[in-house]
Parts: sequence; C-alpha cells; structure tokens
Amino acid sequence: MNKFSLAVTAGLLAAAVSPVFAADEPLNVIKYRQNVMKAVGGHTGAIAAVVKGEVSFVGDVEAHARGINAMSMQLGHLFPKGTDNGAFKETRALPAIWEDMGKFDAAVKGLQAESAKMIEVAQGGDVAAIGAQLQNLGTACGACHKPFRAEAQ
Amino acid sequence: MTGPGRLFAGLAAVVCLAAGVSASGPRPAAAQASTQPAGGADGGGGDVVARGTVVFRAAGCMSCHTDSKNLGRPLAGGRPLITPFGTFYTPNITPDRDTGIGNWSVADLSRSLHEGLSPAGSHYYPAFPYTSYTGMTDQDVGDLWAFLMAQPPVIQANRPHELSLPFRFRASLGVWKGLFFSAGRFAPDPGRDAAWNRGAYLVQVMGHCGECHTPRGALGGLDGDKRLAGTAKGPDGKKVPNITPHPQDGIGKWTESDISYFLKTGIFPDGDAAGGAMVEVIEDGTSFLDDSDRSAIARYLLDLPPIAGP
Repeated sequence: MNKFSLAVTAGLLAAAVSPVFAADEPLNVIKYRQNVMKAVGGHTGAIAAVVKGEVSFVGDVEAHARGINAMSMQLGHLFPKGTDNGAFKETRALPAIWEDMGKFDAAVKGLQAESAKMIEVAQGGDVAAIGAQLQNLGTACGACHKPFRAEAQ
Repeated sequence: MTGPGRLFAGLAAVVCLAAGVSASGPRPAAAQASTQPAGGADGGGGDVVARGTVVFRAAGCMSCHTDSKNLGRPLAGGRPLITPFGTFYTPNITPDRDTGIGNWSVADLSRSLHEGLSPAGSHYYPAFPYTSYTGMTDQDVGDLWAFLMAQPPVIQANRPHELSLPFRFRASLGVWKGLFFSAGRFAPDPGRDAAWNRGAYLVQVMGHCGECHTPRGALGGLDGDKRLAGTAKGPDGKKVPNITPHPQDGIGKWTESDISYFLKTGIFPDGDAAGGAMVEVIEDGTSFLDDSDRSAIARYLLDLPPIAGP
C-alpha cells in the first residue's frame, strides 16, 4: 500500500469511525435512529411470529438475527449528546442516557451479545430454543427501554 | 401495579411496624427455611409452596416489595413509591420475626389482603392494592402464606413513610375505605367457562391490572365506568395504556396470542420491546405463569367492552 492510499484509507476510516465530527443535525440523527430502531423491531416481530407459530419460516430467523446484531453495532454512535427528549419532543430518549453512560453502554453490549447468541441458536433451527433466546433478547431490549426511554404519549 | 392507590400502600408498612412488630425472639420464623426463592422444594409442604409460587407471581408481590434499584434483598421492602401524597416505603414481607411478617398467621395475611387491616387492626394505605386482593380465594391466600414463610428471612427494619401532613393520619383511611373499598371474594360468572373466569380472576384480583390501567377520580378511587381504559396520569404522572379491546385506542387489533406472548416476553406485536413499569410486571410476574394462565388473561381482556380513550 502506498502512502497515498494509506492516507485515503485512514481518512475514510476516520470518517466511518467518528460520525460525531460530521455534526449531523440532531433532528436528522433522531429520525435516522428511529428508523434503525424500527428495523430492529421489524426483525424482532418477524422472529416472534415464527416463535408464536403464526408462520413456519424458521429458516429466516438467522437472517433476522443478523439484522438485529448489525443494527446493535450502530447504537454506540446513534446517541450523540443533545438528542434527548428534553431538547427535542420528537424523541423518547431520556437525558438519563447521558447521565449514566456506563449503564447505557452495558445495555448496548447486552443487546449485541444476545443478538449474536440468537444467530447461533437460529442455526440450530429449533423453534423452542429460538423462543427461549428471543425472551433473553427481549430482556436485553428492556434493559435500555425501561431506564432510558420515555413512555409513549 | 403502580397506582395512585399504591401511594397509600407504603403507609401500610408503617402500620406493620407500629403494630405487628412488638415481636419476641430475634431468629427467623420459617420453620424450614428453604433458600429457594421459588418452586416447591419437597418435604411435606412442597405442593402448597409450589401453588403459592403461582399466586406470588400472579399477584406481582416481588416488584414492589423489593428495592431492586438499590440491590435490596428480595421481599425485604424499602422500595420507595413516590406519589402526590408523599413517599411510601414498602414493607419487609420476608418471614423475619422482628422486622418482617414472621409472626403472621394465615388469618393475619388474610386480613391484610382481604380487608386492608394490619394484625393490630390499623388501616393500610391503598398503595397496597387490597382493593383488588380482597377477591382472592382463601385457598390462594393460604398457599401464598406458605410460600412467603418458606422464603429466606431478611432482617431489615421498615422505613417510615414520608407523607405530607394531611395524609399522615391513618384514621382518615377509614373514610376512604368507606367510599372506595368493598370487601368481598371474587364471584365467578356461571354463564362463562372456566378459562374466562380464570382470566377475570387474574386480571381483576391477582394481577390488580386496574390499579394502574383504570383512571382514578380526585380522591383516588377507581372510575368504574372506564375500567382498564388507561389514563393519561398514572403512577409517576405517566401515561398508562388502554387495554380494553377498542380497535384504535386499545388492544382491539391484538390477537389472543399477541397478548399472551407480550405477557411472557415484553415484545409487542410490532416487534417493539416494552419499557416502563410493565417491564417489571412481566419480568417479576407474568413471565413465570403458565401459558394457559396468560391465554386466560388474553381471552378475558379481548372480551371486555371496548372503551375509547384516554
């Protein structure tokens, strides 16, 4: 790799790794974040439909789990300061997130771990096992939603 | 199980303290202190304790009587319930003789749940939802007693409530009870099948769902015309959803399995995951029930008259 491509790579990496510096409009970040969360919810609802026996698409669960896991990796940079519901009524994200970043980060890691586990479990194709893991996944979601999300109005 | 009514419950604790805690020996009450928090460790009382576990989970005792935020010991109380009337601290319901309910007989427990009275006869604040528990069967109360007495005793003195002045006087509770409380066991509807009646019992009595999901009047009594129709001003001033089968405002578009699955996992039909007070209701309570009980709850809810609002 020559110096030029190194520099370009480094530049691209920096851009990819530090979206905060891009200083995106808070409202746009909020909208984006909500779409990511809806994607997670969509995948979760799809797995739940399999677990409830409403559909028989057990083979699809792994893909949904991968979707959730991929989204969970973004969460770390989707909550820049100043995007709470005190600043913007469009979001339900509570200021408590930024008051207890340690707890928030732990909750994000929890979702990353449980969704990774779901990928593994899904490969086994056992609906009961998937159901048990979905319960763990739901608990991981709640670990953030309970302390850090306001009630719907 | 958080409700304006709950506000009052904390005081109940104080009552216990003042009343029941004359107590004698410093040792734990439970004869055979099983360390298992749940389940029926055998040896005679196993079945009773196992049945009591179901009662315990269905009634949702755990969440309020454990100060989990501060890593409190299970059922040792001390959880603050912040209300417009002041702050209540829930009482210790472990079988420690001095600081818990180790000296309570089944009759004492029955009187607290069915009549809202301490063993010494003082009124409990309705933050303790005896307004719902009054419908419990005697069998369930007996089983719950056996379960509670089989838990590890924890020595932890009850913390006095911090109420604003007019609410410190327990005597006024007699008046409140006269207005809003009618004691009486649950009466099954003979025109309905067993599952519906089980669901009604779980929703109205054990789960005390209405304590949060039914709006209250100025004096804290439940609005009987809007049962389970939600409220904009629930516990902590938060909105509590309508759980009647109203198609727009309530859960009319949910299926029985949607409701049952939500009570097991906290996952909504659209894949969202619950936050708020319902998380502990599920994690400490309904997730432990049998599928048949969760289905019974769903069946009953979907059969309620749909009400618009809040």
